[in-house]
Amino acid sequence: MLEIKNLMVFYENAIAINNINMKCQAEKVTGIFGANSAGKSTLMYTISGIILDVKKKEEMKGGERITVLGNITFEGMDITWMKPSERAKKGIVLCPERRRIFAESSALENLKIGGYLATKVQAKKTLEYVFSIFPALVKLKGREGGFLSGGEQQMLAIGRALMAQPKMLLLDEPLLGLSPLMEAMLARAIRNINQQTRIAILISEQYARPILPIIHHGYILENGGAVLEGNSRELMENPDVKSAYFGL
Amino acid sequence: MDILIYGIINSFSLALMAIGFTLVYGISRIPNFAHGALYVITGFLVWSLVHLLKLNYVVSIILALLIMGLVGAAIYRFVLIRVRGMATSEIIATYALGLAVLEFLRWGGFKGMTYTLPVFIEGSIVIGGIPVDLQRVIVIAIGIVVVTFMWLFTHFNKIGLALRGMAQDEHAAMMLGIDSDRMAVIAMAMGSMLAGIAAITLLPLGNIVVEAGYNVLILSIAVCIVGGLGSWVGAILAAFMIGFLQIITVAYIQSHFHMVVALLVIIATLILKPSGLFGRQKELEERV
Ligand SMILES: Nc1ncnc2c1ncn2[C@@H]1O[C@H](COP(=O)(O)OP(=O)(O)O)[C@@H](O)[C@H]1O
Ligand SMILES: [Mg+2]
Repeated sequence: MLEIKNLMVFYENAIAINNINMKCQAEKVTGIFGANSAGKSTLMYTISGIILDVKKKEEMKGGERITVLGNITFEGMDITWMKPSERAKKGIVLCPERRRIFAESSALENLKIGGYLATKVQAKKTLEYVFSIFPALVKLKGREGGFLSGGEQQMLAIGRALMAQPKMLLLDEPLLGLSPLMEAMLARAIRNINQQTRIAILISEQYARPILPIIHHGYILENGGAVLEGNSRELMENPDVKSAYFGL
Repeated sequence: MDILIYGIINSFSLALMAIGFTLVYGISRIPNFAHGALYVITGFLVWSLVHLLKLNYVVSIILALLIMGLVGAAIYRFVLIRVRGMATSEIIATYALGLAVLEFLRWGGFKGMTYTLPVFIEGSIVIGGIPVDLQRVIVIAIGIVVVTFMWLFTHFNKIGLALRGMAQDEHAAMMLGIDSDRMAVIAMAMGSMLAGIAAITLLPLGNIVVEAGYNVLILSIAVCIVGGLGSWVGAILAAFMIGFLQIITVAYIQSHFHMVVALLVIIATLILKPSGLFGRQKELEERV
């Protein structure tokens, strides 16, 4: 469904993504694991196209030079240079690192803004679905996004992304900074979303443990390069992975 | 009593003048320094449609507002899109555009006392023992309608909600399929129409003069800065604060300190609380 070929991203002369090749299958959960500053977010921003807007703004300001090489295809179409909003229309929706909730809008408004691309019928149906997987959000509808806890914001951010009717959902470190209980709950919710809606999911995490069981295929990222790949079992049994990403 | 009534009227006038400026800034972070010029253009546009094309007043108003919407969209599409994100260039571009238009109008002979728009309804009513022109009552009514409309639009309409998303986090909005340029075009078109609505409501109270362009710009900036850049609730509160301060100054000090109040308020805000009355977006970000 998504295919990345020889992707390289540079911030000035520092390489953030080093010749990555990867594939995400339709209806499957793909994982990306890597330590802090391995390049996970850069990869997510490149797939969703946000990096092009950052690049444009930096060029305008005469700021840092960002270079993107290689190509990304989605459902057979080259999207490497497509605007982020167009990619969202094609079905690639990013739920970004640190959630980026609209802090001054209520939880419900956050979801409604997420439904910008949805028809009335889709928005209504998805809203019900979001409340069914995250019942905790029902009570928080009227609360301002900025006043939600980290876990509540993360549920809201995933819900908001679902409202945009994704075919492929990108989740950048959705468990960052959450309690183990919340981690387990979200991991279950993410698996359920994939199983119930058949939306393909690409998920990045620093610590693989809570996520590894729910992925179908995964990549290990180191210094911007994909050093290892395999299915959930293969990755779990790999001794290097064990020591580096499980803290065993 | 006079102070109360005229304070309210003046506050609504300020809110009307500033709401378009605040909208554009809030959504696309573009300080539209052509805002005052758009206000004056609308006045002359309606005047020309009525007097040169001999159109009906209401038709002229509607036509003028539609044209202003197109003008706003065109300013973004052809000028601002190229300098987007470079604050200094945005200010220079919009200010230059505004200056050029205003000075061109002046050069073209649009000056002095000759150009006026008729009031909507003649006459006056007495409120609490004070006679008030009906046009001033209309200012309040239109003020309330515009503010209510904007509130409903940004809370219940899909585009309005998208505009608010864009205002809060541009990239997060893009990830959801909201196009930044499209939203900015809409914001500029609406901002220009709002400048137009202000002009049409307020100009019948006086003459259409080029100087009004500069005053409207200064007052809009004052309201926007005091309210906390881009905060709509803040802008309305600020309009009331400055509105009453001005009327009190006129009543107890001197009438030509009217504009000085706005300038002093800008300076005081920048020194005491640069984020303005409602500049809380920052605080929230730090909290999370
Ligand atoms: N805007 C930026 N400018 C310069 N360097 C950046 C920028 N964003 C990220 N980097 C660098 O790129 C590398 C990858 O970062 P990132 O993609 O954020 O990694 P991760 O999400 O895995 O922590 C890091 O070395 C980081 O310092
Ligand atoms: Mg990251």
